[in-house]
Amino acid sequence: MSAQTVEQPKGPVTIKDLQTENPRWCVGCGDFGIIMGLKRFIVERQLSPAMTVNVSGIGCSGRAPNYFNTYGVHSIHGRPITIALGLALARPDLNLFVHAGDGDALSIGGNHLIHGINKNFKCVFLLYDNELYALTKSQTSPTTRKGHVTTTQPQGTYLNPLNPITIALGLGASFVASTADWIPDHLTSTMKAAFDHPGFAFVHISQRCPHYDPNNFDHKSSAWFSFLKHAKGIEPDRRLADKTEVVEHDPSDMTKAFQYAAAERKYFGLFYQNKNKPRYDVILHDLIKKATPKDKAKILDAYLI
Amino acid sequence: MSVEKRSVTRFELLMDAGFGAQKAGDILLGAFVAMGKYVYVDPMIPAEISPPARSRPALSGVIIRLADFDVTNIGNDTDLILASHEIVLDRRLEDREYNPKCVVLLDMGDSKDNADSYEAVLKHCTQEGLSVIPFEVDEASKTIVKELGGKGQNIHYLGILSYIYNVDGKVVEKEIQKTLGKKLKPEIMEKNLVLFRNGYQLAKERVFFQIQVDNTAHDEEKILIDGNTSLSMGIIDAGIKLYSGYPITPASSMMHTLAKEFPSYGGMVHQAEDEIAAIGTAIGAYYGGVPAVTCTSGPGLSLKQEFIGFSQAAEIPIIIIDAQRAGPSTGMPTKTEQSDLPAVIFGSHGDYTKIVISVSNVIDCFYAPHMARYLAEKLRLPVFIMSDFQTANSYKVISKLKVLQMNDVEEIPDFVLERFHINRLPKDIEMVRTLQAPPGTEGGMRRVTGLNTDQGGKVNYSAGTNQHSHQIRNEKVHHVRRALIKPEMFGPDTGDILVVSWGSTRGALEEAISLCAKEGLKVGGMNLRIVYPLPLILKEIFAKYKKIVTVEVAYGDNLKPSPLALLLRAETLVDVKSMIAQATGRPIRPKSIVQMVKEVLSK
Repeated sequence: MSAQTVEQPKGPVTIKDLQTENPRWCVGCGDFGIIMGLKRFIVERQLSPAMTVNVSGIGCSGRAPNYFNTYGVHSIHGRPITIALGLALARPDLNLFVHAGDGDALSIGGNHLIHGINKNFKCVFLLYDNELYALTKSQTSPTTRKGHVTTTQPQGTYLNPLNPITIALGLGASFVASTADWIPDHLTSTMKAAFDHPGFAFVHISQRCPHYDPNNFDHKSSAWFSFLKHAKGIEPDRRLADKTEVVEHDPSDMTKAFQYAAAERKYFGLFYQNKNKPRYDVILHDLIKKATPKDKAKILDAYLI
Repeated sequence: MSVEKRSVTRFELLMDAGFGAQKAGDILLGAFVAMGKYVYVDPMIPAEISPPARSRPALSGVIIRLADFDVTNIGNDTDLILASHEIVLDRRLEDREYNPKCVVLLDMGDSKDNADSYEAVLKHCTQEGLSVIPFEVDEASKTIVKELGGKGQNIHYLGILSYIYNVDGKVVEKEIQKTLGKKLKPEIMEKNLVLFRNGYQLAKERVFFQIQVDNTAHDEEKILIDGNTSLSMGIIDAGIKLYSGYPITPASSMMHTLAKEFPSYGGMVHQAEDEIAAIGTAIGAYYGGVPAVTCTSGPGLSLKQEFIGFSQAAEIPIIIIDAQRAGPSTGMPTKTEQSDLPAVIFGSHGDYTKIVISVSNVIDCFYAPHMARYLAEKLRLPVFIMSDFQTANSYKVISKLKVLQMNDVEEIPDFVLERFHINRLPKDIEMVRTLQAPPGTEGGMRRVTGLNTDQGGKVNYSAGTNQHSHQIRNEKVHHVRRALIKPEMFGPDTGDILVVSWGSTRGALEEAISLCAKEGLKVGGMNLRIVYPLPLILKEIFAKYKKIVTVEVAYGDNLKPSPLALLLRAETLVDVKSMIAQATGRPIRPKSIVQMVKEVLSK
C-alpha cells in the first residue's frame, strides 16, 4: 500500500491551531477535559495536525473529532475501530486516535473492541465512560451502576455494570490504562504512554455527565481512588498524588492488574503493558514486504491456455 | 460405431460431493481448451461441505457446454449425463434441464444393494424417453478405487467422457499430470492413469457413439478464467490496494485468490470480524486515500447498509462487490439469483445516491473494478459491482484481455467506458464539502461525518443546507445519468418486443435474440451494464418497440413486477412486464426466452 507524501508543519503547533468551533457539549461535560488533555499532548509532542486523524462513533464523545483541527472521521455507531483499522493498514504514517463512548465501545461496537484489541493495531483508543447513554437522553448503558434510575430502566438499572478494564485485560489487551477527565496532568501523561505504545492502547477514561448523572464521580474528593505508579508506568497526578493513596504496580504483572481492575476501589494508572504482542497491521505490511513482487503486466498469464 | 459431429453440445457429470466431479470436469476442460474448443462451465456445488453420500443434497457436479464457436452462456438442455448413482441422477432430473434425446450413462455399481431405488429411477428415465446406458466399473478399476480409499472414480469417469467426446487420451493424460501431478505421489498418479485408461476402454466397449466438436479457437492468445478470479485480477489491475471482506458464499473465492496473490502486487487482504467491520475498514482506507473494496453476498449486503449510507454522506468513495445468491435471508447460498437490485438501489436509510454496475461475463468482471474506481473516486459515492453465483463460478475461454495497470482514475481508457456504455464524466464535479484531501495534506484538514454539514464540513441542521447537500449528492448521480449512452442492444432497432436483461442473463438473451431472428421474429434485446442510474435515452428506445419485457433470475408475478421491471417502470412510466421472473436458482435458458417471446407475441 502506498503512503501519501507528507508536508512539514510550518511553525510550532499550539492549542489554538487545534481549535475549530465551540464544542456543542453541556456545561461541565467531562468531554471538554478529555479533548483538552489530548490537545495538550499533541502540542507537547508537536504532532503534525495534518498527520493526525481522530476517529469516533456516535454519542456525545462521537463529536470529538469535529473539535480538533486535524483530520477526522465521525463515523457510525459502534464502528470507529473498523475505520481506524482501515487507516492503520492504508496509512501507517498517520497518528491515530479513536474516541468511543461506553455504549459505542461496549454495547453496539463490542465485537469490534474484541477484535481491535486482539489485532493490536497501532492506535490510541480512548473510552469515554460516563456510565450511561447521554446524547439519547439518559438510558442504561453497559456500564451504568446497578440501581441507577434511567429512562429505559426507571425502576433502577437492573444489572451490575460491565467492567471495561477486566474486559480489556481478559481480551489480552497489550496496553490497559485508566484515568479521568478531571485530572488533566494524569490524563495527558496517560495519552503520552498510550501514544508511545506499539499497538492498541486501551485507555479507559471516567467521564462526568453533569446533566444526567451529576452525582456520579465525586471530582472534588480524591479519597475514593488510588493511583497506580511504577517506573514503567504513568506518573500519578501532580496535584492529587499527596492527597490520596499511591500504589506501586508493575505493569507487566497481569495477575495484580486483574486484582486492581476488579477491586471495589477505583485505580487510575497503567494496569498492564506488553510491548511484544504481535501487531496485525505490521504483519499485513510485512506480507507485502516479504512477497516476491510480480509483474503487473503479466497478471493474466497464469490463466493462459 | 459412429462419430457424430456437433457445433454445440452440453453434458454433465454428477457425483456425490467430495468425490471430485468438478476436478474431473476441470481436467477435461483443460484438454478441450488445449485442443481449441470453446467451453462454458457451470459447476454445481452443494451448500454443505460433505452431505451424506448417496443422498439428494450430496449432488455435486459439473455442466460443460462445448462448442465450435464462442459460447456466452450455459445453454438450454443437457445432451448427455454421466451419473455415479441413481440418487444424484434422480435429483438432477428434477431440474428438468435435459433434452428429450438425452443419453444417460448410469453407474450400476450401487444397484445390488439398492435394486428398488435403481429400478424406480430407471423407470422414470424410460417414462421421460431418455435412453439409459447402464454400465459398471470394471473389477480392476474397482480394486484400485478401493486401494485409493474410495477416490479415483472421477478419473475413471473422465476416461469415459474423454472417449465419448473424442479427445485424444494422451492430451487428457497430460492434463491429469498438470492438475494432479504436484499433489499425488508417482505410484498414486500411475493408478489414476490406469483408472483413466480403463474408463476410456470401457466407453469404447459399452458406448456406441462418439461426439466431435471441431477445434476452432486457435487464432490468438486465450485464457480460461471464472468470474470471481477475473474480478480479483481486475481489482489488482485497477490499482485497488485493500480487499476487506468476511467469508461468505459466493464471494469468498475472491478473498482466497487475493490472499495468495495480492501481496506480490503491493495489496492487502483483510479478513474482518464481521461484514460491518469489513466495509468500515475499506472506507477507512479510502478516506486515507488508498483505494479499497469490500465483497459480499446478500446477507452481508444487508449488514453493510448503514456504512453504505455513511459513505454517501461523508463523501468517502467505496466499492462494494455483491456476488448475489438466492435469497431472501440465507436462501440458497450456492444457487444464482438477481434479487438484490432493490436492496442496492434503495437500500440504506434516507435518500439514496449511488451507482450500480453489473457484470454479465468474465470480461466485464475484469474491467468492472476500473469502472467502479473511476466512478467512486470521481463522485465520492458508493459504487456497487453486481455479480451473481452464476457469473462468479462459471468459467469460459476468452481472448487474453488488455491489462491496464491503472494508477489514477483519469487514466481509464475509452474502451472500458464504452464497454459500460458511458461517456467520460466532467473533469470537476461539485462536492458537498469543498475540501476533500486525504490525511497528510497540509492545510487540507477536514472532518467527515454522517451528519449534515455545510460546505466547510461544519455540522449544520438548517433547512437550506440540508436541501443543498441532497442536491449536490443527487447531481453527482445525474452526471452519470447524462453520461450514459445507448446500452448494448441485440437484434433489430425496432420491433414487436424488446427484451431487457442485466447481469448474468445477458448471454442467454444474446443467444435467444439470434434464435428469434432466425425464426423471423421482430424481437430486440437490451442488456444494461450500469443498472443505476439508468440512461436518459431509455424511454426513446422503448418507444420503438410495441412491448417491453424483462428476463430476470428473480421473483415476480402478475401482481408484483420483478426488480428490473419495477425499476424500468418507475423510471420510464412504460408498462414494462416481467416476461421471465424465474427464481429457481438455475440460470435462464435461451430457449425459454424464445418460447416466452412467442407466447407474448401470440397474446
